[in-house]
Amino acid sequence: MSKMTQRKSLEYIKKDYKRTRTLPGSWYLASYKFKFNITHMKPFLEKLKEKKLIANQCSSCNRVFFPPRLVCGKCFVKPDKWVDIRDTASVSTYAISYLKDPETGEVQQRPMVLVHHDGADTTSIAELAPDVNVKDTYVGMPIKVHWRDERTGGIMDIEYYDKVDDDSDDLRYKK
Amino acid sequence: MGRQVAIASAGFSEHASKRSDVSMPELVSEAIEDCLKNAPSVELGDIDAFVNGNMPAFEGANIPELWMTDWMGARNKPLLRVTTGGTTGGSVAIAGYYNVTAGLPGVDTVLAVAFEQQSQGDTSVGLASVAYGEISILNTLGVSYDQLSRLLSAGAAIGVAAYQATTYMNKTKTHEEDLARVVVQNRRNAAKTWWAHLKMPNLTIEDVLDTPYVQYPLRYGMVCPASDGACAMLFTTEEKAKDMCDIPVYVNGVASVANETAVLGYDGSGSAQVDPSMQLGAIRSAELAYSQAGISFPRKEIDYAEVYAPFPNQELMWTEKLGLFEEATAPEMYKAGVTAVNGELPVNCSGGVNSTNAIGASAMERPAEAALQIMGKASNQVPKTVHTSIGSGWGGSLNLITLMAMSDQPQRKWR
Repeated sequence: MSKMTQRKSLEYIKKDYKRTRTLPGSWYLASYKFKFNITHMKPFLEKLKEKKLIANQCSSCNRVFFPPRLVCGKCFVKPDKWVDIRDTASVSTYAISYLKDPETGEVQQRPMVLVHHDGADTTSIAELAPDVNVKDTYVGMPIKVHWRDERTGGIMDIEYYDKVDDDSDDLRYKK
Repeated sequence: MGRQVAIASAGFSEHASKRSDVSMPELVSEAIEDCLKNAPSVELGDIDAFVNGNMPAFEGANIPELWMTDWMGARNKPLLRVTTGGTTGGSVAIAGYYNVTAGLPGVDTVLAVAFEQQSQGDTSVGLASVAYGEISILNTLGVSYDQLSRLLSAGAAIGVAAYQATTYMNKTKTHEEDLARVVVQNRRNAAKTWWAHLKMPNLTIEDVLDTPYVQYPLRYGMVCPASDGACAMLFTTEEKAKDMCDIPVYVNGVASVANETAVLGYDGSGSAQVDPSMQLGAIRSAELAYSQAGISFPRKEIDYAEVYAPFPNQELMWTEKLGLFEEATAPEMYKAGVTAVNGELPVNCSGGVNSTNAIGASAMERPAEAALQIMGKASNQVPKTVHTSIGSGWGGSLNLITLMAMSDQPQRKWR
């Protein structure tokens, strides 16, 4: 403390009380109106009814976006080409979530996966089939689209992803 | 070009899960007091401008800077508020740097302060309000509500980190012990830091591996806490810094780089990268900051690093992406003790975000602690002399990376 004009510490105020008071309050976050553009999804959603997958491609950098994107982040242009892609995919990465059933109290283990479709350059978040054992999931696992019986033209027409038998050589290194 | 900027001082408030003895403005004033204590010749009148920031919606208080101006000493002074989510602290520090380097008349000394009092609000509601805009589109596209809740649980910060962890572990062939080792080092370091939150001096790897999974591969013992706390930094010009402190720390390079949208994407359109642990933004920010600072060989020239790692896999990932270690070698370095306090390249000697996470302040505590290590005033001071150090931040919408490179020598090459 070298100067006479040094600011006084606020400690002397604080020692008068030890606890702050608490006033309960709440924010209601449900009354916002978020705006979305889904027109870029329209052709993709229409094709889902016919069990077909399409993705859009940036004509500048040739990256294929599945699900379709509104703008290419690399080139700052609108991807305008539509390409067909296959229904086979691989697990890009996964995480296992432990969710408690509110009624039975049972803890469910569900792997949430990022799916990398063959022919696409992006990933999307999805679920695996209920019969896939959690412990068998690994990065690079080949999977295939399982279609819902009645398709309505929504993303959930892809109910989940089935496991495909993996016969690749590098599997023994991964396990 | 801009003026040379120096850090004259940095200060922290005490961090805890519930600071119920202080209100939010008092918490901020605590950090400012500690900051001014480190630079005794600075009066409040010497400070020309203020930068303030925290994560909005986490405390349920919008525009908090307006009712804490008195507690900051910002009356009748220029005040700027910056908020960029997880990197708020890093962005506030960079805004402080910009204020000084711009050379505005009458603005030489800038006090930057970032804070968060998470016990006051609901962090999950805060996070939901961040993600809600992106996620609610999925409902429109036909995703049922119960699946949406599952996606939400996987879409929050922990979910993103779990995805990164899975690919990182697969790519580098590491195990959970390697992650636990990072946690043990951090929590033990935190025990020696006066302001840190989770202090566990006797933690072992077995203790960490005993805890249940929050989300595979991350266990409860590996996850960062939610803290209350604040951090303040004093930026000033080269000439004034010499009067204010013994060892001024010169800011030689800053970068704040955004990458393409992360996991969920906008309008339900997925991620732009196949590999979540690729982190091109971090590589680019390192390139930018190091080129400004004239660091050609980061592994050799950087003596101390503070990386923003709420989860242990991220600490391994960032040290590689920021050029401190070769690709896929970070786990070995932690095993060999290179990153320990007395090691060759100490990392996160304050305990890191893994031990103390007051979200808005966390990314500022990294450069602040890195600066104090150069000054020799850190509470867990490394034994060797630190000449160059870095402090990084990660957050935004999970894809914004801030980086600040500091040194005890001013850098004039690029000016």
